[in-house]
Amino acid sequence: MGTDMRYSPWLILAVLTGLISLPARADFHVFACEPEWTALARVFIPDAHFTTATSYLQDPHYIEARPSLIAAMSRADIAVCTGASLEAGWLPALLQRAGNPDIQTGQPGLFFASDHAQLFAPHDHVDRSMGDVHPEGNPHVHLSPDQLPNIAKALAERLGAMRPDNSADIFARYIKWRVNWNFHRANWQERAKALQGRSLVIQHTGFSYLLRWLGIDATMDLEPKPGLPPSASHLNQLLADPRLEDAAAILIASHQNQKPAQWLSAQTRKPILVLPGTVTDDSKTDTLAELISEIINRLESAMPEVADGSL
Amino acid sequence: MLNRTVPFTALSLALLTSGAGANELNPDVSLTLDGHYKQNDTVLSHREQGFGLGHTELSLSSPIDDLFSGRLTTVFEEHDGESEILIEEAYLQTNGLPLGLNVRAGRFLSQVGYLNGRHMHEDDFVERPAAYRALLGSHYYDTGLRLNALLPTPFYWQIGAEAFNGNQLSEGAEDIGVYTLNTRVGGDFSAAQSWQAGLSYLHNRQISTDEENHDHALDHEHGHDHSHGASYTGKNLYIADAIWKWSPNGNTREQQFTLSAEYLYADDLNTFATSDDYHEGWYVSGVHQFAPQWSAGIRYGEVDLREAHGDHFHSQRLKETDVMLAWSRSHFSTLRLQYTHQSATGFSNADNTVALQYVVSLGAHGAHGY
Repeated sequence: MGTDMRYSPWLILAVLTGLISLPARADFHVFACEPEWTALARVFIPDAHFTTATSYLQDPHYIEARPSLIAAMSRADIAVCTGASLEAGWLPALLQRAGNPDIQTGQPGLFFASDHAQLFAPHDHVDRSMGDVHPEGNPHVHLSPDQLPNIAKALAERLGAMRPDNSADIFARYIKWRVNWNFHRANWQERAKALQGRSLVIQHTGFSYLLRWLGIDATMDLEPKPGLPPSASHLNQLLADPRLEDAAAILIASHQNQKPAQWLSAQTRKPILVLPGTVTDDSKTDTLAELISEIINRLESAMPEVADGSL
Repeated sequence: MLNRTVPFTALSLALLTSGAGANELNPDVSLTLDGHYKQNDTVLSHREQGFGLGHTELSLSSPIDDLFSGRLTTVFEEHDGESEILIEEAYLQTNGLPLGLNVRAGRFLSQVGYLNGRHMHEDDFVERPAAYRALLGSHYYDTGLRLNALLPTPFYWQIGAEAFNGNQLSEGAEDIGVYTLNTRVGGDFSAAQSWQAGLSYLHNRQISTDEENHDHALDHEHGHDHSHGASYTGKNLYIADAIWKWSPNGNTREQQFTLSAEYLYADDLNTFATSDDYHEGWYVSGVHQFAPQWSAGIRYGEVDLREAHGDHFHSQRLKETDVMLAWSRSHFSTLRLQYTHQSATGFSNADNTVALQYVVSLGAHGAHGY
């Protein structure tokens, strides 16, 4: 007992030193607001440590600036986020509470993907009666086959500038990613021909960039206004919409409540497609290219009669 | 009064009509409207019976440069037919000092406890728990300086100290009337569960406990006309708080359950207080947001107080249960129906009441904390 007591202050000191020196030893920390940016940054710097604030099962608009995220943000070297007000409800509080001098507005440590994209449907005038409309445009740009290369290039350049010793490797990985992406994109383009002109009912505009790119009409929305949950009166209006007859399926994201889609499906006998809105841990959808391929697979199987050439 | 309101109104209208994103150099303007109907008067309440306005806030905030940001929050209140404008927040704050340090200077909400540092419009119930109303005047804000440090640990651990003028809590002649110390830790149990726990200490130097001040204390004890300070104070106030939040897969949009509890203890009440004289209070609150637009909650709290009467004290005790149901059309509007049951000893006006409340926010809507 006496011997134990003699060692205990040293033990406590050792544990405290360990706790404090642990983050300093780890080399490069990436804080990603959404999993798609973890997937993309991991392509360029696979050896870094990643913290992802959200998952495909969560609505990225509604995350809390909770203690674990403050701690992760405070030790991060770069934060990679979507921007365009997607994270307006939580990122500012996180940045302020973490107080990380490297990750502040205007610093290279804060990377917004939407700064490197052409957003769809920007608004000159926005007011709250329109719902949760982002004046900058639709922020869900991570599924845009044409915009991703720009974002990836900007991110690779940013990471290269922050890690000059690795910049040659990062650039080489970017070139490899780009070649692979172009290869995939040519494949998607080929498959888009069969999907073009079809229509879907959606819930929120999370998949809109990809659907537009594929030529799929997605203007029927279960949400009465962007960001407002589907209401009974709106669903009844939708049921009376003459365009509904042509819709092949009801597409919702994994994090969304399935009840409104199920109700509409029961009324119309249209199938429900539940797809992850972003990359997941599943090996079939753990990169953006695989995710887009998988979404197209699922769209193809939901719209089978196209093969007859009926359109 | 008119002269004081006109600049604010004109400024806000000018900014609100300038259009979203038209000029990013303008500060963010946010206005919170809060009104209620309350059936009966209740003990230690800051909301009057009948129709009334609560915390009407006009707030301006903006980065100042790359190092500082600033915020002004003015509150419009009515007391006995007289309008008042109070400055609740007027501070500048550093953005990203080295070593995880964070400095705030000016007037701001003290970070003691869990609820105190939060804005009233974020609350889940019509009023703060009885312990907060008695010991902190619902929310304690003052003019002073704060230094916080986020420790470089793998989990969240913050320590902080504040020094305040102290006159918003109780009157006195000290230049630095109040000191606070605070620490909080927190993390995730899993993707679905997160938690935070904190300990706070508030030292009120304006409460005199010296023997030679007996006469002074007697002179002042009935001159308690300080509508926004705490009605019950002590030289030392200790607060422990704990919060646990759960939502399936961490998707707070669809569903979230929040369990929070705090314990408050104040001693060294005045010159005549013995070691048996102390204030004590606690509450436990459970709120379930069971659908994107709906939440229901229940809160139970008690407070045991010692009311000073010259050289002795009278015991007062209040037990309070609140049940509420709230509907939020969007993130910016909430309607709330609440039933409050009070049972008290040592208070004459304890009652049960139904209250109906709206809280809406116009303009910019700042990100919320945990």
